[in-house]
Amino acid sequence: MNIINRRSFLSHASTLGIGAALASLVDIPLVMKRVLAEGAIGQPGPNGRVKKLFFIFLRGANDGLNTVLPLGDSAYSATNRKSILIDSDPGQPFAAHGRALFPVSGPSTATYDYAYGLPLGNGFAGLHPALKFLAPIYNAGELAVLHRVGYPRQSRSHFDSQNYWENGTPNNNLIQDGLLYRAMVESGLANKLPLTGVSIGSSLPLILRGSKAAMTNLTDPTRYNLLAVPNTAAGNLKADAALAAADQARFVDKRDRNLLSLQYQNLASTLDIFAHLDFSEAGNTFVDDEATDGDQPYYLFPTTNEKNGGYIRAKDTQKYVVPTSAYGHFQNLKSAAMVLNKTSAIVAGVSIDGWDTHSKQGGATGAQANLLRRVGWSAYALQKYFKKYADQCRWEDLVVVTLSEFGRTSIENSDGGTDHAEASAMLVAGGGIKGFQADALGGVKRSAVFNCGGDADPIPWQVGPTGSMFQAQSRYLKRNTDYRSVLGKLIRDHLGATPDQLTRIIPGYANPAESLAARGIQTADKTEIIGEPDLI
Amino acid sequence: MNSPSFSLHRAAFLAAVVVGTLGLTAAGVPPVLDGVQVDAGGVATVSFEPSPAVTEYQVLRAPRLGAAFAQDSIGTVDGFAWKGSIGTAAAGFFQLRTVELSPAELTATTLLQRISYGPTPDELERVRGIGPEAFLAEQLAPELVNDAIDTTPPGPVWRKVTASGTGSAPKLYIYLDAAGETYLDDFRLVEGAVDDPGKPNLIQNAGFETALGTNWLVSTNLIASALSPDQVHGGSLALHLVSTAAGSSETTSIHQNLPATVVASKTYTLTYWYLAQPGQTAHLTVRLSGSGITSVPSLATGSDSPAPLFSKLTAGTAAINDLRRWHFLHAIQSRLQLTEILRQFWENHFVTQYSKTRDYFDNAGYDTATAGNISTWLEFQENQRWNQAMLRPDVTFLDLLRISAESPAMIIYLDTVGSKGNGSNIANENYGRELCELFTFGVDNGYDQQDIVQISRLWSGWSIELVASNNVANPFAGRTTNYLDPTVVTNRSALTNLLGSWAFNYKAANHNTGIKKVFFQHDAAGNPTTGKLVPARFGAPWAGRDYSLTYAAATGTNTVQEAYRLIEHMANQPFTEEFLSVKLCRLFVHDGFQIGYDFTDDVTSPEEDLVHACMLAWENPTNGGPQGQLRQVLQVIFNSDLFRSHGASQQKVKTPLEFVVSSLRALRAVRPDGSYTVFTDGDLSFALSRMGLMLLFDRMEPNGYPESAEGWISAGTLAERLRFVQGALMPAGMSGKSDGGANTVIDPSGLVQLKAPAAARDSGAIADYFLDLLFPAEGKANLAAYRAVAVHFLDTADDGTTASPFAALTPGSTDYDTRLRGLVAALMTTQRFQEQ
Repeated sequence: MNIINRRSFLSHASTLGIGAALASLVDIPLVMKRVLAEGAIGQPGPNGRVKKLFFIFLRGANDGLNTVLPLGDSAYSATNRKSILIDSDPGQPFAAHGRALFPVSGPSTATYDYAYGLPLGNGFAGLHPALKFLAPIYNAGELAVLHRVGYPRQSRSHFDSQNYWENGTPNNNLIQDGLLYRAMVESGLANKLPLTGVSIGSSLPLILRGSKAAMTNLTDPTRYNLLAVPNTAAGNLKADAALAAADQARFVDKRDRNLLSLQYQNLASTLDIFAHLDFSEAGNTFVDDEATDGDQPYYLFPTTNEKNGGYIRAKDTQKYVVPTSAYGHFQNLKSAAMVLNKTSAIVAGVSIDGWDTHSKQGGATGAQANLLRRVGWSAYALQKYFKKYADQCRWEDLVVVTLSEFGRTSIENSDGGTDHAEASAMLVAGGGIKGFQADALGGVKRSAVFNCGGDADPIPWQVGPTGSMFQAQSRYLKRNTDYRSVLGKLIRDHLGATPDQLTRIIPGYANPAESLAARGIQTADKTEIIGEPDLI
Repeated sequence: MNSPSFSLHRAAFLAAVVVGTLGLTAAGVPPVLDGVQVDAGGVATVSFEPSPAVTEYQVLRAPRLGAAFAQDSIGTVDGFAWKGSIGTAAAGFFQLRTVELSPAELTATTLLQRISYGPTPDELERVRGIGPEAFLAEQLAPELVNDAIDTTPPGPVWRKVTASGTGSAPKLYIYLDAAGETYLDDFRLVEGAVDDPGKPNLIQNAGFETALGTNWLVSTNLIASALSPDQVHGGSLALHLVSTAAGSSETTSIHQNLPATVVASKTYTLTYWYLAQPGQTAHLTVRLSGSGITSVPSLATGSDSPAPLFSKLTAGTAAINDLRRWHFLHAIQSRLQLTEILRQFWENHFVTQYSKTRDYFDNAGYDTATAGNISTWLEFQENQRWNQAMLRPDVTFLDLLRISAESPAMIIYLDTVGSKGNGSNIANENYGRELCELFTFGVDNGYDQQDIVQISRLWSGWSIELVASNNVANPFAGRTTNYLDPTVVTNRSALTNLLGSWAFNYKAANHNTGIKKVFFQHDAAGNPTTGKLVPARFGAPWAGRDYSLTYAAATGTNTVQEAYRLIEHMANQPFTEEFLSVKLCRLFVHDGFQIGYDFTDDVTSPEEDLVHACMLAWENPTNGGPQGQLRQVLQVIFNSDLFRSHGASQQKVKTPLEFVVSSLRALRAVRPDGSYTVFTDGDLSFALSRMGLMLLFDRMEPNGYPESAEGWISAGTLAERLRFVQGALMPAGMSGKSDGGANTVIDPSGLVQLKAPAAARDSGAIADYFLDLLFPAEGKANLAAYRAVAVHFLDTADDGTTASPFAALTPGSTDYDTRLRGLVAALMTTQRFQEQ
């Protein structure tokens, strides 16, 4: 075990010229000033607990049209989507109103034996069948499904568009710090608490990067300690002491030295915390409290075949809930969940790569379906983990949100895939969100499907060959919601930012030309959007 | 050439102070005095800011204005402050002077950090000797250097064995556990737990310089053994041990009766050298009779040569990890370091993804291993083609772009392989988009969505085919009809029975035959009007040029020319010149270069000026050759003030690849016998994976791995970097060793013996040696704090608290070796070693 004392480091860091000043066009107040701080981000609420956020970034651009399916649109057809169309079930009319369909497989049939769109009960939309484990969350009133999300003058470059989602400033690559980083800075707790924003993955994503406070990325939490020669307890202490002493050394200010200094400090201050969490496979004992799929209670975090759905009972690979290639993702997901649940961290997130389905995208099964299974089960697992195993964070304190940089072409290309396009879908789950409500007759009192058919849509989905699917550039699904409205709503009404803070976290949030807070026209490309969806 | 530059120009400002006032103003450029404080006892502290590449800070004092400034003995510099007793009544003036690295020294170290994967001990000496300009000239003309590491087969390696134990019976046995042979030399057996050079050797004829048969007695199974000059560690002869059958005891060994003073109650240390060779399987035993000292080393050795890997790669039988190992070994060992840096740069710029290619061939009908071999071969082929192109003095960017476009790995990666633009088919936009955004113009730089649609049509039909080997350069060839097994009757034409190579293949039937207008402006209805013009921000000679292209409707195989015409056009547009110049500047200078400068601004930054100079060199080469010559652009960068300034060194963070390779190079010196103080078989990919998923040849996203620090540095990835160096510095067998490469062995004690034997027992001198090796550009005076940490580390026991003078440890002992390993690892875990 390695213990490095937290060192008086900030005085040193502040003598280094903050090298990224040029990039920081967003004015952020000094992070240490909690005395003057406003807002409630990171502050315990009436229940004594802090509101937290979990993000899952679907990198590569998820095909929103094959995620939340516009089953009621005649343009969502085999003509336009030759090999990838998800049909609606002749026996389960999507036009009916009520709960979302949850096809329970039971012990003997394949987990994903249902190959049609799952009606969402709003008379129009359906879920990809690989997302079937979202249905119980939806029916519990804890999931909102948003379609047609994008931003003005949508870039169809992955790198641009991921940048914009992460830095919170569409069409501006000069801002090189992240939206959630700024939220953590606004909390006044970054650099005070050892952990505020955390990602688990190969590297720290832009959404959590910034030059004034170190957010934390863990590549492999089970290996999070240092080694030494000789590799004994005393040897480790000696090596760590040498490193700590060297870290205090002053040097000429140069590009990147501030970053190194911050992240070395972050390393030192987090080693001890993570040493006390059991991230090992043996520690992965989290199991569902009910047999949701009609089989038996499944492990929440499938990281081995034995923990993958109903496989353990019959060694039947058809009973997997996720593909075997997803185990790394569920390691990360479990670690991120544990960090949120057991530490001071306010925001945590993971990424799922591989959504750039230019060829062989597949339909009810195939490449995209395999990725969606990860998403559906991830949301389900998080819901159950934060209900059954809650410690510092309960499901009602948490919001889980998916991000993806853009959607894909409405028409399939010659390779059985789809190319880069505009608006896509977003999923928001949590114990405190305004979800689906059934009425006394089993119908719908409140739908939680936004922007995809249904009577409540402020800007209706237009159907047919000149409808919504082709209204952007005459080729792509057109947005009617800005991703910043969704994240802004969550950061203010869930995490607790003040309106003033929100304009610093998301620059331009209060600008009427952006129409982020309330319905209006975004003047950049004269597109009407709904403002904030009524999520929470 | 090592004469330091005495920075008079920087010393020409005064700092004046009246005793009793706190602080003083310093004017001008660094070095900067922070202030003077005088305590009640009259002790003044003059503190100042660190300044780049300073080897010595001098604080000079004058008692009054007009008096001469002088260094006096009343005070000393410690770190970034001067302290001295000036008395309570005195007033004074202080001046700070800095002695900096000479320009030649500075450029030499910057070059070693940027155009090579970091200095090795030998290269540091060599480049300091020949000077930076000769080194640069050599690296810029790799075709003139014979670096034969791919064709020199791995040789045998002398290995030293050290074993301690009790004496038991006074007899020494040597034998193999099977038939086989090896060479042995320079035995020593001394009393005590370490190989103390002061103690007498208890073995006779220990160097095998006189005949066998008297001191050394030979059993029948070893009768073919003899003294030999063929392979010698020391002296002129060694024992060539030839075993016809396994040995086990005195009667089946070469043995020697030791003095009767060797007794079971005492501890002894045995050392000897043996020759390990690739491919050997037998084990050697050298032991004392009974239960005394025993050593059983393997005669086999892993190979640190890229040659066997190169053979597999050219034969198409290599797996992806072979390619990665080859790439590592080249990066570590090659003399052509700039070539290796650029090899990685182009590989990463024209990124392709091994596993996507493998999946493609897996789906096509090959088994996974074969699909992996084909995909590895395709990655290797494009890499080799770039490298061969880079050996031509007038190589252009277009040459490299063409290789990338024709590479089956790219055709699969960005989905042109199945793209059809004929009839009602919509051509796949993936390659068209990334060609503009990532390979040539740069994101949002001179193209829009309509251009991408047009370009994707130009590229429709670019596919691949398994063709006969003499047809790989013929894009119209049909599938090969050569069979691996011509006697097969059913399904003889299955892919797995076809002999040939996968190559670029043009399928004209899939091509979009319509009119195409690329880089046009459009009216409100989306119809093309006139050509796009180069924006005003580029200034002369580019601004205002019409760079549109029009293609008439056409059919047939000649339409393959359409795409070639496009890249020939795009390769030398100002957008490409700008984007590639920016990327090369980020690679060699620092991360802070952007596309989008207004080159017509009155006020420009040095970064903008350098990009502009690169673009002009690209546009108007001084040798009159083709546009886009890479060496012309590189010359501009390497000769720029930005590259050569004092502040320029150590301002980039190493990528995982650079970190791993530079850490091994830093300690790798050649011994007189041809072996090295660092051995690695190149199996290091795991470390890159842990440090941020840097999977070589297998990047999923087409933007390649980032060059910037932000993309790599976080607590988790730093932890993995630190674990790697600690593991690498561990001796074989220590728990945790595999984190630094199970087959990576570093010998810092050997390095000290080789390069700084006089410093071997002096903690201060050892610290100085390694600080210079690891941080040569930082300036000695700026490393005072690291030096204090290092000296303290060396003079402290492994428990971390007990004082234990390094001078008291015996070189060669385990304690000495462990202390030194720990120190080097500690220095390499510091922030400054993350930089290049």
